[in-house]
Amino acid sequence: MTAAIELTGITKRFPGVVANDDVNLTVERGEIHAICGENGAGKSTLMKILYGMQAADEGTMKVNGEIVDFDSPTDAIDCGIGMVHQHFMLADHLTVLENVILGAEPTRAGGRLDFHGAEAHLREVAEEYGLTVDVHQMIETLEVGERQRVEIIKVLYRGAEILILDEPTAVLVPQEVEALFENMRELKAAGTTILFIDHKLDEVLEIADSITVLRHGKTVATMKNTGVTAHELAELMVGSELPTPTTTVSTVTDEVALELRGVTVLNEDGRAAARDIDLVIHKGEIVGIAGVEGNGQGALVDAVVGTAHVSSGTIELLGNDITHDSVRQRREAGIAYVPEDRHHEGLLLSSPLWENAALGHQTQMPYGSSWWINREGARRQTEAIREKFDVRTPNIDVAAHALSGGNQQKLIIGRELTSNPDVLIAAHPTRGIDVGAQAAVWDDIRAARRQGLATLLISADLDELIGLSDTIIVILRGEFVATLSPDEVTPRDLGAYMTGVAFQEEAS
Amino acid sequence: MRWRLETMPAWARWMLYAAVGVLLLTIVQSISDTERLTQVSTSREMLRWAVPIFLAGLGGLFSERAGIVNIGLEGMLILGMWFGAWGSIEYGAWWGLLIGIAGGMIGGLLHAIATVTFQVDHIISGVAINILAPAITRYLSEEVWGSPTTSPQTAEVGKWDVPFLAGGTIFGWESPDWLLTVSQWEIWYVSDLAQLVRGLLRSTSWVSIIALLLVPFTVWLVWRTRFGLRLRICGEKPAAGESQGIDIIRYKYTAVIISGGLAGLGGAFISTELSGLFQGGNSAGRGFIGLAALIFGNWRPGGVLLGALLFGYVFGLDLKDLDGTASHAMLLVNAIMLTGVAAWAFSRRRVADTVLAVVLGVGALFWWIVADTVPSWWSNTLPYVIVLLVLVFFAQRLRMPAAIGQPYRKGEG
Repeated sequence: MTAAIELTGITKRFPGVVANDDVNLTVERGEIHAICGENGAGKSTLMKILYGMQAADEGTMKVNGEIVDFDSPTDAIDCGIGMVHQHFMLADHLTVLENVILGAEPTRAGGRLDFHGAEAHLREVAEEYGLTVDVHQMIETLEVGERQRVEIIKVLYRGAEILILDEPTAVLVPQEVEALFENMRELKAAGTTILFIDHKLDEVLEIADSITVLRHGKTVATMKNTGVTAHELAELMVGSELPTPTTTVSTVTDEVALELRGVTVLNEDGRAAARDIDLVIHKGEIVGIAGVEGNGQGALVDAVVGTAHVSSGTIELLGNDITHDSVRQRREAGIAYVPEDRHHEGLLLSSPLWENAALGHQTQMPYGSSWWINREGARRQTEAIREKFDVRTPNIDVAAHALSGGNQQKLIIGRELTSNPDVLIAAHPTRGIDVGAQAAVWDDIRAARRQGLATLLISADLDELIGLSDTIIVILRGEFVATLSPDEVTPRDLGAYMTGVAFQEEAS
Repeated sequence: MRWRLETMPAWARWMLYAAVGVLLLTIVQSISDTERLTQVSTSREMLRWAVPIFLAGLGGLFSERAGIVNIGLEGMLILGMWFGAWGSIEYGAWWGLLIGIAGGMIGGLLHAIATVTFQVDHIISGVAINILAPAITRYLSEEVWGSPTTSPQTAEVGKWDVPFLAGGTIFGWESPDWLLTVSQWEIWYVSDLAQLVRGLLRSTSWVSIIALLLVPFTVWLVWRTRFGLRLRICGEKPAAGESQGIDIIRYKYTAVIISGGLAGLGGAFISTELSGLFQGGNSAGRGFIGLAALIFGNWRPGGVLLGALLFGYVFGLDLKDLDGTASHAMLLVNAIMLTGVAAWAFSRRRVADTVLAVVLGVGALFWWIVADTVPSWWSNTLPYVIVLLVLVFFAQRLRMPAAIGQPYRKGEG
């Protein structure tokens, strides 16, 4: 039997880097094939080449035994290849149906869309593969898991037999991951070939038939999923033992650093985004907030940082009421903030590093005074951050966008911790950065904790939450619904609390 | 089940809004010393002003739904004015319109080349077109007509009276003019309504009728066809379209060129139907106001028409209002509407909005009480004030295309 996909000697160079270096990959028909590797190992580039979004510099691709040469995704779609991107390719303000038929619209005379025909076909496809979704909903009203299902349906709607899933589990909670795997098994039973990218090894071992590991753009190994352990895979991926986020001895003190009492934050529609939040963080303590995205974490962070109006309740920093203080007053009083989206909130991408390092501290020495920026002081401090936090950059005058995601994040962490804050608000501090930088960030947070920093940690990475936190609080629909000990909770349990399943189980 | 406004069909809802609006005007008129608020000539002027505004706004809709901000509508409208006049003089009225559309399309093409191919900032390119168009038309006028500012008389496509309702003729037979009869009864509100409707139906330019038909046509084209879906994806999430093999750049070009064509038709309407000649400066900023109507109308064709009619009403009223009494009465209308906004904001517990609406409403009322007339600059300013207020109070309900104004490069999704 010919393989569904056979790649030989694929090489792709970008200015300064070789993203794929002589990659070989064979995917058999009807199997689930996992591609593993660290961030930057070349997984996504390889998938983009396979989907016709980028052209390989060298190498040949065969689909179902025939040599192909893709100029655009259309060619790949014509060959029966479909891709679900990590960042969903869905328009929020279009309906599910409109999103699905886009590019493959059935029309009647005069270019009129045949919505009825399209809906019938969509339902047929969805039923065949056991995927359920409401076709008339706007995408913006859907949960992440549902959106992903729409993406998969979109691909199947076009008759794809080979499915590429780019880090499909990155955005999902454990329960949704389970549902996804269930869908994948059904797809496989229906004869679909699935190629998926993942770096969570337990997931790979659970679902994959075959595994290919990439490292530094090269194929390190391809194996059947029989008798392989996570440990072996991890070593193949990074070439050494994987770091873990575990904190060691408790450093929690009795001294209260941050206290929220009955804090409620309203969203634009006047509904409570965060309701009646009581929270105490002591010096030397890390409190982790677990929750599916959009359940009020953002409102909670905004309330503490000062970017949202608190409609009731009080916030105290070291015993002082800061409820009505401005963001700058709060920062000067000792609140540091690592924002969720470093490109939007954390950095000025086109400004040099030293200006970025001064951001938020521009009123304080050594960066400046209330009116003037102290260039010398700011540069000296930036050099110190670069040194201490291992920000890899040729110099501090390069623009922030020239740095890799991991180094940008190290700069932000350095900027926030160098000011010796009392409280750190860290929203997804290691999102989208590679394993090495991740370990460095964890080390930095742990070191600051030892010195008495109180940290509010928001993360979607449950291992990170469990590993770093002294206390884990679950937030659901804007309310704190459970307080858990990281020593006793597993990611699976946490997922059950985050989605509310745990409470239904308790009730029944 | 509680009855809700949203359950009514859209046309019935709009009719209801219009009827309530006229009722408001009638009430205000009965306590003011003006009769212009509900005269036949007022609604006729409203339509004449509204058509080019609407066409420009609709042009903006095509462009912005495809993600390209089009502040160059004013320039495209001016190009349409000149080419429409030239075509009309050289080849006749209908050719004039077509050539005017083509003139606007040239402006659209220019904007598309700049913004889509060369990634120029949309605003900068638009402003450049707005500066370029008056200069080019001035030069062309000098070359072709020997005068930099005015052209000879243009041809006209003609007007139409609706039979029965407004006394139009059918095959030479003159039908009765029912609305005239009703307005002569002088029944409070009923006759006012009849007069205003008659103004829309009597001696109506064919271009106006075409413009009104463009509302359902645009709804069909943009929301019911493949072309429309692909056009909208360009403004919502172009990368999603690209990943499904849609040639985003081609659709953006098409949309911006259509946009220019519609603005061009609006311009041709101004020169050939309204003024009867090309005259520099006659656009009177209607391209910009069209953009305001687009925002007011929440990027939807019916809303753009409503916005255009609203602005057209204010401008049209001012035109015949030499003593300033009608514009003075409009202050009271504003005060009442702001009261409505205040009540609405209050019911949503939006304190700042409520306070602002009350302050402005009281201000308008106070001005109405102390003054007998208002200066003419006020009625010229009013449309812009209305847009600002709409943005202030209803911005959260407005929903612009998600990817508007963002540069798009192939393969970067």
